[in-house]
Amino acid sequence: MTMSDTPVAAQKAPRRPKRARPAAWPWLAPALLMLGAFYLVPILDVLRLAFGDATLLRSVESYGLEGIQQTLSSPALPGVLWVTVVFTAASVIGILATGMLVALTVVRGEMRGLWGMSALRTVVLTAWVVPGIANGLIWQMLFSEAPFGALNSTLAVFGIAPVRWLSDPSNAMVSAAIANVWQGTAFAMIVFYAARKGLSQDLYAAAAIDGAGPFARFLFITLPQMRAAILVATVLVTIQTLNTFDVILALTGGGPGRATEVLSLFTFNTVFYNFDLSGGSALALILVLIALLLTVVYIRLLGDRPDQDK
Amino acid sequence: MTGRGTERLADLATYVIALVLIALFAAPLLWLVSLAIRTPAEVFLGAARFIPDQPTLANFEQILTDRTFGLYLWNGIKLCALGAMGALVVSVPAAYVFSRRSFRGASALMLGILTVQMVSPLVLLIPLYRYMERLGLLETHAAAAGVYMALGVPLSVWMLKASFDAIPKSLEQAAAVDGCSPAGTLFFVTLPLAAPGMASAFILNMLMGWSQFLVPFILLSRDQLQPISVAIFNFAGSTSASTTQLLAAACVITVLPAIAAFLALQRLIVSAIMAGAVKG
Repeated sequence: MTMSDTPVAAQKAPRRPKRARPAAWPWLAPALLMLGAFYLVPILDVLRLAFGDATLLRSVESYGLEGIQQTLSSPALPGVLWVTVVFTAASVIGILATGMLVALTVVRGEMRGLWGMSALRTVVLTAWVVPGIANGLIWQMLFSEAPFGALNSTLAVFGIAPVRWLSDPSNAMVSAAIANVWQGTAFAMIVFYAARKGLSQDLYAAAAIDGAGPFARFLFITLPQMRAAILVATVLVTIQTLNTFDVILALTGGGPGRATEVLSLFTFNTVFYNFDLSGGSALALILVLIALLLTVVYIRLLGDRPDQDK
Repeated sequence: MTGRGTERLADLATYVIALVLIALFAAPLLWLVSLAIRTPAEVFLGAARFIPDQPTLANFEQILTDRTFGLYLWNGIKLCALGAMGALVVSVPAAYVFSRRSFRGASALMLGILTVQMVSPLVLLIPLYRYMERLGLLETHAAAAGVYMALGVPLSVWMLKASFDAIPKSLEQAAAVDGCSPAGTLFFVTLPLAAPGMASAFILNMLMGWSQFLVPFILLSRDQLQPISVAIFNFAGSTSASTTQLLAAACVITVLPAIAAFLALQRLIVSAIMAGAVKG
């Protein structure tokens, strides 16, 4: 398992001339054993289960491709995948755009010594530490379709008819994405804030002399210069969005119908409500494959950066 | 000068954008607090009573004097504290070796740790549920805390490595010359210096544990074992419009410790994340 790398380290250690330089592996063992038992073995087991016919109550009795075939040809799957794509795309775009807006606002405000910039940063970060389940419940109160619901009663003040935030399928998708963006923006903000701070002011000064307006400066300096940070944030936010569903579970439960049932929630329901362990494992495998693919992209992105010491 | 004039105008625009963003991001939590301090009658008045006429703490009183609710809070603290401590205990030596030694396979291992972190906890929990069942560990805090701990290890290793990297090696070499063993050096020289990094790793793990829903939801089904995150979800399923203010109060109590801990250590945590984000 994870130990495969450690003998290498052990062989190398005695060659070191300095005294008191014991092998690296005893230091690594606790963490690696932990990761082996809780990550590697389960992931391999998911692979095994996906090719079997186990249920939550019964172990695998025979292996084959029928289980996977059956899962992949499930009539619900295309809809679930589509919902996943729409929800993820909406969340990622929303999070990146809002995160960029907040980061650039804070950076500009700080440079000009404006008041309230740390308040903005703090408020955005506060949303980030709200537990996902609480996030879903809070937004459920906001989107409540009762006449006294937060948004609908506010709209009523302006004489606007109530909106079916959660009971209309396409609105529910938008609502779920809004709740996710509210929470997720902070991460993109942190990444973009750090990246923008790292940009040289000379570029902007030169552009200003050339008469470039704020929009042109954003388009031709900020965006290209922050390309690496934007790509990194895109990959990480995508993985994060694909992997979690507690906000959706608490907000809509995947409904109405299956309008907001994303792949991870569908997988959860397959295993823990339908007790279809092998079917759920096949779906989990899709999640793992997407995550691995995106991680490879992420690692490549890190490697491309000149300031990286790896 | 027109230049100064446009700068002033841009400052105004910055203020307007900042205010709108603050309002949008604060609104959900303000509404939550507003609901939590209303009487049932005022809940039904909606936005008109954003600031209630008769604010009350009765909802908090009712929630906090409920004995099971206290238990949920305690379970939540227990699980995330055990998980965070466990994660640090196994991550410190690993991060230290990654930081101080160059050995073959080190960067591959670091990337491997990064990669497993990207796998959804749901995927891991499918087999873990069965292992725990077979080991007779379902419905135990030990099993749940073990999973919290494992989920915290990858992030902890990366964060701690970054904070060890920032400590000059010369200090350790001095200790080694004085006859300090590697473990002694780590304990008496490096760890005290890495205290800010350790603290932010610990708090981040605590926050992640506090938010954790899936692990206890799957591994624990007995009510007395549930942490607060699962409890409010179950509570929401059993409430109606007439108890919205109680659910809101319960949510405030759930959210408040996380926000308080975060605000207290904001600078530390943000700089740790930023260091991670910039360096990767």
